[in-house]
Amino acid sequence: MIKRKDLENIAHHWFEQQDWKPFPFQRQTWTAFLQGKNGLLNAPTGSGKTYALWIPIVLEYLKRNPDYATKKHKGLIAIWVTPLRALSVEIKQATERFVEDLNIPLTVGIRSGDTSQKERAAQKRAMPNLLITTPESLQLLLASKGYDKVFNKLVSVVVDEWHELVGNKRGVQMTLALSRLKTISPKLRIWGISATIGNLDEAREILLGIDKKVIDNSVLIRAKINKKIDVLSILPKTIDRFPWRGHLGLHLLDDIIPILKKSKTTLIFTNTRSQCEIWFQNILDRYPEFAGNIAMHHGSISKETRLWVESSIRDENLKVVVCTSSLDLGVDFAPVETIIQIGGPKGVSRFIQRAGRSGHQPGQTSVIHFLPTHAIELIEASALRKAVKTNVVEDRVPHLNSFDVLVQYLVTLAVSDGFFPDEIFPEVKSTFCFQSITREQFQWILNFITLGGQSLQAYDEYKRVEIEADGRFKVNSRKVAMRHRLQIGTIVSDAVLLVKFLKGGYIGSIEESFVSKLKPGDIFTFAGKQLELFSIRNMQVLVKKSKQKTSKIPSWMGGRMSFSSEMSDLLREELYLANMEESKKSKELEILEPIFTRQKRESIIPNNNQFLIETFKTREGFHAVFYPFEGRFVHEAMGSLIAYRASLLQPITFTIAFNDYGFELLSDQPIDMQAILDNNLFTNDHLRSDLEKSINASEMAKRKFRDIAVISGLVFTGFPSKLVKSKHLQSSAQLLFGVFEDYEPDNLLYQQAYRETFEHQLQEGRLQLAIERINNQTVIWKNCEKPTPFSFPIITDRLRAKLSSEKLADRIKRMTIQLEKL
Amino acid sequence: MKTLKINCNNQSFILHPFGVAFWEDKEMLLIADVHLGKVTHFRKHGSAVPQASIYHNFEQLSVITDYFNPKTICFLGDLFHSYVNNEWILFKDWVKKFNREIVLISGNHDVIATSMYEEINVIVKKEWLINGFLLTHYPESRNDLFNFSGHIHPGIRLQGLGKQSLKVSCFLRKKHQMIFPAFGNFTGKFIIKPDPTDQVYVNTNEEVIEIELNSARMNLKE
Repeated sequence: MIKRKDLENIAHHWFEQQDWKPFPFQRQTWTAFLQGKNGLLNAPTGSGKTYALWIPIVLEYLKRNPDYATKKHKGLIAIWVTPLRALSVEIKQATERFVEDLNIPLTVGIRSGDTSQKERAAQKRAMPNLLITTPESLQLLLASKGYDKVFNKLVSVVVDEWHELVGNKRGVQMTLALSRLKTISPKLRIWGISATIGNLDEAREILLGIDKKVIDNSVLIRAKINKKIDVLSILPKTIDRFPWRGHLGLHLLDDIIPILKKSKTTLIFTNTRSQCEIWFQNILDRYPEFAGNIAMHHGSISKETRLWVESSIRDENLKVVVCTSSLDLGVDFAPVETIIQIGGPKGVSRFIQRAGRSGHQPGQTSVIHFLPTHAIELIEASALRKAVKTNVVEDRVPHLNSFDVLVQYLVTLAVSDGFFPDEIFPEVKSTFCFQSITREQFQWILNFITLGGQSLQAYDEYKRVEIEADGRFKVNSRKVAMRHRLQIGTIVSDAVLLVKFLKGGYIGSIEESFVSKLKPGDIFTFAGKQLELFSIRNMQVLVKKSKQKTSKIPSWMGGRMSFSSEMSDLLREELYLANMEESKKSKELEILEPIFTRQKRESIIPNNNQFLIETFKTREGFHAVFYPFEGRFVHEAMGSLIAYRASLLQPITFTIAFNDYGFELLSDQPIDMQAILDNNLFTNDHLRSDLEKSINASEMAKRKFRDIAVISGLVFTGFPSKLVKSKHLQSSAQLLFGVFEDYEPDNLLYQQAYRETFEHQLQEGRLQLAIERINNQTVIWKNCEKPTPFSFPIITDRLRAKLSSEKLADRIKRMTIQLEKL
Repeated sequence: MKTLKINCNNQSFILHPFGVAFWEDKEMLLIADVHLGKVTHFRKHGSAVPQASIYHNFEQLSVITDYFNPKTICFLGDLFHSYVNNEWILFKDWVKKFNREIVLISGNHDVIATSMYEEINVIVKKEWLINGFLLTHYPESRNDLFNFSGHIHPGIRLQGLGKQSLKVSCFLRKKHQMIFPAFGNFTGKFIIKPDPTDQVYVNTNEEVIEIELNSARMNLKE
């Protein structure tokens, strides 16, 4: 038997040959892995993390198979899970390089949504030794017959970019799969790789599950690569013409040109795909000399184009890439020298991660330029700089008891070999996310998938999972099985359609919600091209090129994230500085001076013991704007809470808008602010029950239910690239929500929508603290003549929640129909 | 419940919040797009829509027939959502109890064989021309006939001050035509954009309200 030291020397030797020196975190990971430990490796992108884990997997293989040079061993020994399939090619190249150099006959394969049917079939006959895959494709493997034989020689599973999964349902899906694999292959070593997040220790537990033996036999290894990050704001020369709101930031376009020209390669990060398209178009329009040196990268663009952009960055063939979060992860781009962030990144860890995309050479400083899109965002800029300096990063909150994901997982097992509940329940309960599930709840889920959530009833024809004579839960209908397999990838998002040229040629994919607003003949911008819609057929959008200049630009949802409480604190402190003397102010605040003066003329700038409320009237109605400075999510909760409480005082209808600074209640009727203050609506008493009622009234849970309905298979969405005859099975989650509300309010999936709203949207705990803070402040109510600079970004936001205590008919009578667009 | 009486071609009709109309002269109840069997169809395919909701449509049908006591019911198509399933049994029982004339103008969803309807004395027609009215499933315009139809599941988007907006189902009336809202409780709606010459009657749970199409924007109350 080869000793551990000798094994590690193989790695050291290889590193020397490459002229590299292993980082301490790489050496520590090799040792821990070879000692049989599980763990979480905290290392940033582009730091050599692939070799930290792939090398000991290979070494372990050498140890177990001393005859490796002469005998080829078949079957999976390791799975590498990556949340973004775009990263898999990169990982494959890195892993192959090591085994090829050492002449070890290990094979590496990729399995993802992009893998061809032919390759899948080949993999079915003989799995590669290392499989690089996504969480969804791993689930699909669990949905194929005889999966236990595929996995029983497994040595290790590595979950890359774990921070991207830990706070969402794909993470839950991942840990359920791990719980199964642990039983099939009891000595499995589980490893995660994560960027820095606030709750790294918890992230390790979420990955490994609650079994104390497993946790005790695990390590958290931190790569101490302290990178210097410089945050530079791009400041407008004067604030006069700088917009009070907006999200494009185009008015500063000219100011980034010198930066682009000076740097070898620059990545420009935008927050949404539409913003990405617009920036790309505008740079080209105004500076045509960039043509050929500029490209665009976002999640809707075809894989070929994305891969081309990525390799062009590496080969230094591109000077500028306008991108979205699609380039947040993975791939190491050495030539990138500069990062520009347009608009608030809404999260410090994301901002740091983006900054880290530049200056990859050791010892180099990462430079990130922040381009504010409106005046108030300048305050954000100087708060961000402080956050980076003090390394304030957010937690990723796990999803607990996501019954929708559990339903999907159990049906997955039923589709392949079937399962016995007594065997699966302990596995499920051993995961972090389901540690508190009760036997009753599990029984309810079993009943849900076999009887559709009912006791056996007359006229019922529910059919999904059947219980066989020996007690095995199994799907026997081929149709159910097929539909379920298509459904597995749906934890991500909206229905998407493929965009193709009439003559053929795939351009990318686009959300149905955008396309449905277009008519044939309409021109829209997509992937940097002007396209004319020809027709929509079979989930395909057929287009032809257009020369017309004006066009619609798809707007994509998403990206509405909220500040963490730490970041909100920093933001608030920064704002309080506005009242201070000159010397304490940052450049950004200095520039904002005219705005502050105007704010003070119309209202005040609150200091830390004041809570500001502004009321005013416009053509649109009666506005009441509140400024807690607590981040979007807390404001959403507080907005609906106060709206709900106010609606008890009189029959009234509100629309509620919120951003990271405050929230607004808008009504067509006067809002009695004195009554709101007199009745102490900012109290922590009955917080929970009032919040619950406000969620009901404001339809927040209804929105959450959409994902739950899709994931649990209540709604069948079909599948973008495959044609499924499912027309008679289409229904909206909203409709379903109403049916549950009326007929099955105790349904666990229906209730989950409320729970998720509480735990992930409203963040009750933070709300409570915020209310306490407000109660210790003096309320300053300003009845203003007109909208103030602070209020402007909020009152112009069109994405609004609604809350009403009026009768529907009464509201209708005051409304009008919008005829064809004026 | 507040109904609304309207006139079409010199005949009077009572619009009911359930989204149906009662033809007074003929004592005929007009109902569109019930989509019976939809819930069971979903359940049969593994989507666990609450089973208890299948009784709702039948309850509503009983309430509305008790209210108007019609001689005839005419369904303007899409009575059943798909192929026969167990909800057919419930329908058969309901037909027996109702025991009066039932006519179905067949729609695109009506794939159940005509012979099955005939067995339980439901008359199936492609269209029905009666006293200058043309009853169809798809909206049609023909000569001077006044057309009643369904199919579209019309709804409209209303807007008010304070950035308020609502989507509600409605009857859409044109010069020679009225399109009915869907009756079924598990059906969606399609948001239409009316022409200035149209009339729109919104049906809430309690009331049918005519919406002024040319109303000027209201001023703020002080």
